[in-house]
Amino acid sequence: MAYILQQFLTNSAKQNPDKPAVWARGRTLTYRELNERSNQVANLLRSRGVEKGDRVGIYFSKAVESLCAMFGVLKAGGVYVPLDPLAPVERISYIISNCEMKGLITSGEKLRGLDAGKIPSVKLFLITEDKANGLDRPEVASWSEVDSFPKDSSPELQTTTTDLAYILYTSGSTGRPKGVMLTHQNALTFVEWCAEEFQVTSEDHLSNHAPLHFDLSVFDVYNAIKAGATVHMVPEEVAKFPASLAKFIEEQGITIWYSVPSALVFLLLHGNMKAEKLAKMRVLLFAGEVFPMKYLKQLADFLPNVALYNLYGPTETNVCTYYLVDRERLKTQEKLPIGRACANTEVFAVNDQDQIVRAQGETGELYVRGPAVTPGYWADTEKTHKMCVPNRFQPHFEEKMYKTGDLVMFDEYGDYLFLGRRDSQIKSRGYRIELGEIESALLSHPGVREAAALAIPDEEIGARIRAVVAPHEPGSLTVVDLQKHCAARIPSYMIPEMIELRDALPKTSTGKIDRVSLTNAAVAPAA
Amino acid sequence: MANDPKVQIRQFVMENAQGRGITELGDNDSLIDSGIVDSLGIFRLVSFLEETFGVKIGDEEIVNENFQTISDIERFLAQKQGQTTGQARATA
Repeated sequence: MAYILQQFLTNSAKQNPDKPAVWARGRTLTYRELNERSNQVANLLRSRGVEKGDRVGIYFSKAVESLCAMFGVLKAGGVYVPLDPLAPVERISYIISNCEMKGLITSGEKLRGLDAGKIPSVKLFLITEDKANGLDRPEVASWSEVDSFPKDSSPELQTTTTDLAYILYTSGSTGRPKGVMLTHQNALTFVEWCAEEFQVTSEDHLSNHAPLHFDLSVFDVYNAIKAGATVHMVPEEVAKFPASLAKFIEEQGITIWYSVPSALVFLLLHGNMKAEKLAKMRVLLFAGEVFPMKYLKQLADFLPNVALYNLYGPTETNVCTYYLVDRERLKTQEKLPIGRACANTEVFAVNDQDQIVRAQGETGELYVRGPAVTPGYWADTEKTHKMCVPNRFQPHFEEKMYKTGDLVMFDEYGDYLFLGRRDSQIKSRGYRIELGEIESALLSHPGVREAAALAIPDEEIGARIRAVVAPHEPGSLTVVDLQKHCAARIPSYMIPEMIELRDALPKTSTGKIDRVSLTNAAVAPAA
Repeated sequence: MANDPKVQIRQFVMENAQGRGITELGDNDSLIDSGIVDSLGIFRLVSFLEETFGVKIGDEEIVNENFQTISDIERFLAQKQGQTTGQARATA
């Protein structure tokens, strides 16, 4: 049984050395090739001074080299930090400095875009091209050098399951990104549960749609490798175009798909998908945001034989609860549950009287405990202590639990329902308002494609409600239409005062609707 | 008056690219690699093209080959405008 992530690769390489492990942009690596390459990368990193626990960034568009880099860093005893290739350089430099990154695996083009003076901690740049054109500095190594290192073994290490494997930087709600530290054990807890629940086999073909800095990709990569299956990386330029994405899924014979709901809605509405071409698909996973019920029902009808799972969990725990869609129940469900705890994880909801709630209809804030929980945030003990708190419900030995900040409720089946962020439950004119309810009301209008409800702080009444809506057909909706529609469904104090109509809503780097930027734009309109 | 479609397309794209700190965009620079299509959202670009140039763009035409660079978009547009207006468009 694996106790560190790279063992999935070495085990599968022994069993199926010639099976394809990863596909990206028309190139494939077999298990043997991936295993050998990553050994070589690990040996190169070590020879260049990367030591146990050092952070090494991965900063280039998806390619088979992405997996060579991930496993190479792990085999060197390092901690990899995936960086968004589409993020502004300033954000990338911030992250590099924040975790005192020692090495960076990147492309020549990306390297030229960085100001090396701003990132002095980096002592080694390994570029994914064979030649370093115009980048002939001693700290730059080109990919062609990788081949000169031993391929049959990797450095001797004393890595244990409690060591860090990677750091994922997420957007802090207060501006600066925060590095969530994840250990091998954190990742394995999730991967083992997935392997059991979805019965991933070597015959499966997993897509990797999510960027590597988003934890959905942990399933795509490690569950494929563990099972001896193939992971097919979706190139960024295919992901942006719905018809191309649909074609990708058909041509690559994807059997398990995992993404944010927005990507599935995107495909459903604009991908021109033909159900018979998707006959190989057997499991569809989604996470990261609420799936609008009207689209979920369409999806469930479109693919009647595919198991649909709603997965829930912050980056700090990866997935902690799950819910398998029941098509009968779906007909009358207004809200899709987040379900119940994954194996080897415990969750509970704590109410305002600091008691654990156990009865139907009761609500509370969700806490998570167990080996899935992060040890904390890189170099931020303050935030770590704020979110990873001692488990006051278990006084016999020291243990932390993660405070999610999410409000949940038990339904009559013993499943949890997600009610909203604690901080998205706002007060306006003294009323408690759930922004999610307003969004649901807007989305229930057939002409609405996307909607976001925002709370704009207001001195007089607490908060003013505004909405931003993208219709299916530009110009087909008026603000008055929408307000009338809302009036028939939600109390008047919840109806947005202002509704802005746009062609599309901005998305974060992980594909979710970017509510933070919408709120900021609304609070401080451009001069 | 700027009638050249490329000029209009570039202007629209640049308005939205400025937020990403991009000040120059060549005819053959990739819109995806620079992240412009990401923040722009492909549908906003499609809406702009439909409204400005009076064409109807079908879902199956929203593919990488037609939108990779400003030159690609112009070529695609010219193709659309060359199509006979008498053809009925089937709606999905």
